[in-house]
Amino acid sequence: MSKHLALRSGNPALSASTFKKQSYASSEASMTIQGTVHKTGISLILCILSAGYVWGNPSLHFLAMPAGIVGFILAMVTVFKPTIGYVTVPAYAVVQGAFLGVISMIFNEMYPGIVVQAVFLTFGTLGALLLAYMSGLIKATENFKLGVAAATGGIAIMYLINMVMGFFGSGLSIIQSSSTMGILLSGFIVIIAALNLVLDFDFIEEGAEMGAPKYMEWYGAFGLLVTLIWLYLEILRLLAKLQNRR
Amino acid sequence: MNDTGNILWIPIIVISVLSILKLLNKNKSNGKPWIRIEKVEENE
Repeated sequence: MSKHLALRSGNPALSASTFKKQSYASSEASMTIQGTVHKTGISLILCILSAGYVWGNPSLHFLAMPAGIVGFILAMVTVFKPTIGYVTVPAYAVVQGAFLGVISMIFNEMYPGIVVQAVFLTFGTLGALLLAYMSGLIKATENFKLGVAAATGGIAIMYLINMVMGFFGSGLSIIQSSSTMGILLSGFIVIIAALNLVLDFDFIEEGAEMGAPKYMEWYGAFGLLVTLIWLYLEILRLLAKLQNRR
Repeated sequence: MNDTGNILWIPIIVISVLSILKLLNKNKSNGKPWIRIEKVEENE
């Protein structure tokens, strides 16, 4: 039996039932790790190109809010209809890229140089955790998955409460605070976002092992992209807080 | 450039180094000798 069978991912896009929902037609090509890597690469390139283009065109900055909303819709469509991932995932990458382009530009105007540092830290974290996963230094055990999923759920609830409070002109000040507690909270969120990458690697490996359908490669790439975007935004926030303390 | 952010590279470097060491140890010899001397039986 696969060591990954009882999968628990903190990433809402990657749940235990994801592979079980898909019919495994033995005749069609199945998911591979290499195929998923290629699709992740394509999605990342689209996202970065889109972000760069929007950053360089101030007339497009009004797109931030619509891009955020369209990105959320595309994410939901991908989760509930993974068979059309070859359309929704590249589209999601482009739209989220536009959103990140505007956010990054705003941060970079406030804290010059912060975006380059956040991008390098994000890809550095990806590389380090990929090495740790490949070497077996970090193993996606059941307890590990449960812990990361619980922590991610807790963070999601905290953000949800903050959003609801925002409608009433209030909010959880610690999320934006540059106090020691605020920085520790941001650091904790960055760690949990980074550990979600391990769950994504495990999810992709499980999909390839179980012979999931070929279109699930796009779904695996989507999961990784969602985590990377989250990680990047949290690193950006943490760096901004650290710079505020100087 | 934000120099205080450089502290965030420490865990990345530590994890990378530990992973590489673990990978190197995995590929290391398992302790068995390259050659084995066996007793040669008569008429062999």
